[in-house]
Amino acid sequence: MDQTPRKDTVVIGLGNLLLSDEGIGVHLIRKLSEHQNKFPSVEFIDAGTGGMNVLHLIANRKKAIIIDCAKMSKKPGTIRRFEPADVKTTKKLTHFSLHEADILRIIAISRQLDECPEQILIFGIEPESLEVGQKLSKTLAEKLDLYAADICKSLS
Amino acid sequence: MHNNVNINVHHITRVEGHGNIVVNVKEGKIEKLQWQVPEAPRFFEAMVRGHSYQDIQTIVSRICGICSITHSLAATKAVESAMGLKVSEQADKLRILMHYSEQLQSHTLHVGYLAAPDFFGTPSVVPLVARAKDVVKTIVKAHRIANNWSDLIAGRTTHPVTLIPGGLTKTPTEKQLRQLQKELKDAVPDLKKIAEVVLSVAGNIPKFERPTEYVSLKQTTPPTYTFYHGGITSNDNKSAVLPIEKWHDVANEFVVEQSTAKWAKWHRDAYAVGALARFNNNAELLSPMAKDAAKIFGLEKGCCNPYMNTVAQLVECFHVVETSIEIIDQLLTKGLKTEKITSSPRAGKGSGCVEAPRGILFHDYEFDKHGKCVAADICIPTGQNHANIQKDFEKLLPEILDQQEKDIRLKLEMLVRAYDPCISCSTHFLNVQFVR
Repeated sequence: MDQTPRKDTVVIGLGNLLLSDEGIGVHLIRKLSEHQNKFPSVEFIDAGTGGMNVLHLIANRKKAIIIDCAKMSKKPGTIRRFEPADVKTTKKLTHFSLHEADILRIIAISRQLDECPEQILIFGIEPESLEVGQKLSKTLAEKLDLYAADICKSLS
Repeated sequence: MHNNVNINVHHITRVEGHGNIVVNVKEGKIEKLQWQVPEAPRFFEAMVRGHSYQDIQTIVSRICGICSITHSLAATKAVESAMGLKVSEQADKLRILMHYSEQLQSHTLHVGYLAAPDFFGTPSVVPLVARAKDVVKTIVKAHRIANNWSDLIAGRTTHPVTLIPGGLTKTPTEKQLRQLQKELKDAVPDLKKIAEVVLSVAGNIPKFERPTEYVSLKQTTPPTYTFYHGGITSNDNKSAVLPIEKWHDVANEFVVEQSTAKWAKWHRDAYAVGALARFNNNAELLSPMAKDAAKIFGLEKGCCNPYMNTVAQLVECFHVVETSIEIIDQLLTKGLKTEKITSSPRAGKGSGCVEAPRGILFHDYEFDKHGKCVAADICIPTGQNHANIQKDFEKLLPEILDQQEKDIRLKLEMLVRAYDPCISCSTHFLNVQFVR
């Protein structure tokens, strides 16, 4: 449909904006999109809770960066940059449910289908609150610029 | 017959959200047989209160990551009814195109990623990739076309941004619609390939029947296999098509101990919604290719095998693609116009109803004179199917009690999955441990 060639790098923000810090990935995509002019070969995508749609968003790119709320047993507000091989999922229903579509499994499928980007980076941010609400917790909201700067370093 | 069977599936896999299957058979007697839904309530009806009539469709799209377009459309229709807003013919057709993109997205997801592993005897789609890579690639391609289609009309794949009360904020160009039409035409051979593959393993679809009430939309003017317009009908109520505002008289929601989701019943003690319900009430109005697809699977009007819902979804994939090719022709013949949408608030109540991929969906809202929402009521298709799943269980289990426990379990799980339930889509966060 869109005839514009796909950009080599994609930055995908995942999250549910109605569950406080669960929406951090989407909040960050909004913030990063303000810097679009600095990164003409990068596509910033708010993928919401898109689950399996991530398979299509990363397909045949050179590099993919995924930003998501992550329970990593770290201090709330901590941001960690890692690659898929650095972690294992602890979800019980992973890859068995679209609701709990697991990004790590989706990356595995992408590899099997020979369309996975050479480089995938994941930025996980430890939440403070997952309560119903449209605002980030103060802890995460105050660090939004720092997170964005951190992610931008991986785009240079 | 086994004297004792104990099945506790916590939680069933390859469905949206959490549901449990509990079976206790002692000395050949069924002591407990339950389809349980333990999901926490979502509170969306409370969440929208106080918000402007212009924001409702955006908020409720977050109910689901699979059928977000459907929820947005139902909400928008309800808001337009409350505000007395009319929609242009062009916007109406574009909305139907948008809605069809989601039907294809959701059906290919269910048929390809969630149900296919049962037919092929694999636990999930992940090992299926290794076993049948070409098939999975074809499914992924069809799903990708549907996603791009949503991007074009809805502004993005999930959680549409172009939909507003009164119309759409964006009109695709003629060039974009021609490209979409080409891609849809190119998708037909892929759909045929998927149908052939599913047909080759159709022998694994359990043969089970239970006379059932099927509830769906029905459109009589003009007669259409509808997902969007029309009123409410059922095979128990053929002569009548109820206006959608009467949906409370259809759903008759009630509370049961085994489920945090409400159950529904109309003429019987349960009813089913979804692709098979739409097929049973409207099959004669399907597109030619969809009718052909139904024929090769032996799917006929009156089918009351719930496992065939997956086949009905596949049939509908052909229908939405073939019909959309025609709709694009109609739009291009008439010529696309840029439309400016304006609206102003007023006090009022309105109902909106569309067919989600999983079945009929109802939204109701009430607004004050400033257009702020003061009340909301949403009734989702999966909620309407819960009682029917329980009734299916009660007929099915005695018929298969002589089978191995693992086979009993699989058939019960497959039955739930056939309904393509969307029990909840509230969170999805990563849960990880570092290994290095």
